[in-house]
Amino acid sequence: MSTVSWITARGLFGRRRFLMLLPLPLLLVALAAISHGMGVPPSDWGPPVLIGLGLAVVLPVVALIVGTGVLGAEIDDGTVVHVLTTPLPRWQIVLPKLAVAAGVTAITVAVPLYAAGLLADSPRLGLALALAASAGAVAYSALFVAVSLLTRRPVLLGLVYVLIWEGLLGNVVTGTRVLSIQHYVIALADRIAPTNLLDTTVSAPLAVVMTVLVSVGFTLLAIDRLRSFSVAGETS
Amino acid sequence: MSEPTGVIHDIGYQRYTGPRLGRRQVFGALYLHGVRTTFGLGRSAKAKIFPWLVVGIVFTFAATLTAIRAQIGEMILTYAQFADNMSWLVIFFVAVAAPELVSRDLRSGVLPLYFSRPLPRADYPLAKLLALVTALWMLLGAPQLVMFLGGAFTADGMREVWDELLDLLPALLYAGLWAVVFASVGLLVASLTGKRAFAAGGIVAVFLMTTPIVGTLSILPSTAVNQLAGLASPSTLVQGVGIWALRDLLVTDPDAGLSGLGPFGPVYALAAVALVAGCVTLLLARYRKVAAR
Repeated sequence: MSTVSWITARGLFGRRRFLMLLPLPLLLVALAAISHGMGVPPSDWGPPVLIGLGLAVVLPVVALIVGTGVLGAEIDDGTVVHVLTTPLPRWQIVLPKLAVAAGVTAITVAVPLYAAGLLADSPRLGLALALAASAGAVAYSALFVAVSLLTRRPVLLGLVYVLIWEGLLGNVVTGTRVLSIQHYVIALADRIAPTNLLDTTVSAPLAVVMTVLVSVGFTLLAIDRLRSFSVAGETS
Repeated sequence: MSEPTGVIHDIGYQRYTGPRLGRRQVFGALYLHGVRTTFGLGRSAKAKIFPWLVVGIVFTFAATLTAIRAQIGEMILTYAQFADNMSWLVIFFVAVAAPELVSRDLRSGVLPLYFSRPLPRADYPLAKLLALVTALWMLLGAPQLVMFLGGAFTADGMREVWDELLDLLPALLYAGLWAVVFASVGLLVASLTGKRAFAAGGIVAVFLMTTPIVGTLSILPSTAVNQLAGLASPSTLVQGVGIWALRDLLVTDPDAGLSGLGPFGPVYALAAVALVAGCVTLLLARYRKVAAR
């Protein structure tokens, strides 16, 4: 474990605000458990809980908070200079931070999704959701780390993507789903464990290709942006 | 050794003897500045991007609705339904505006400067809250006015214009309810942290994570729970009050999801009042603590 990833992990867990991440996954499990316990058929509660809460809210919001936190918080404080002035190649800064962000997001999201999938259908669906969510965590983290290097307001730009692109347009103009990580995750999970709970218009091969493309592309972009990074004060 | 001799020169210092503006003017200045801040007026171009993006989308939507109505003569959304359909954008706007209003002052530690003026503790958060409410109300109300103008100019005769107006006015009140509920919740969350990024994330998390709770509660095998499900989320709470108060204007499709409130309409209204009152109380308590520091 490199020093950069160690610092990043401490920066994430060392503050009290990390506790902000806990309510979302807990809520997911709680809702699944309540619905299961009350005897509601999974075909009724599956879509709103698994997709509506799990894949559409918990995964992107956790990825957004963590992904912009690993690098964006340091840029905000100005402490990123200490890391940049060390004789490390830029990719050795971006990759560990990305790994920590993706890892934390994947664990926070995949565990409750596995539990919810288990309650909804079978261990296979749980595993499929956990795997797909982990892949989605990598893609989202790459996107949000790159965004935090492209702009000084990464959280707001990330929210534009999550709320307006995926939330609003993805439901109205179905064509935009081709460029939506949320639907790649749904397609992947549906491919691994075919059920009637998950439904999307994106095909599985496209989802695989696009997830890899997004992850690799935005990682390269982040490394490139950090190469010519200019230190500036807080914008108004 | 000579005596130390000192002279006090009169270099023309003068006391200010003009009129001093009081509490009301301070409140008014804070309010006006707050409204301008939410839209990024008087700020750099970067601060205008996100607010005006939302305004642009909302107005595009309203213009499209108006154009469709003028061409086909069919009203796709009533005025009141317009606010419901913009809920995601309202959440985003609150996430942009509320941290700008309160988190920056917390971060840079300028609150003592504010409170060294003739400004009671409660006035600062209330002025900010009022500014956010106004901004949200304008965000939802102005497009409805565009829709109304479009409808009024295509109507035949004053009678239809009058009918349109009677549809518009309750919808503007309804937009005000949206504004009050979302502003009080959003400002409370934003006032908890000085970091704008975390405040924005927190606001979105609070609003988004409550929506699926409603979805789950409304399919549980108990009618009373189903009818009370909307209480769990601010947006469905507001919709519930709207359906109770102005039913015909909101529910055009009788099978619509949340239309079944049963006998619990007044409960929704009480819950909305309680939510706003609770948030304002907590906000005031928060500023009592922050200001004492």
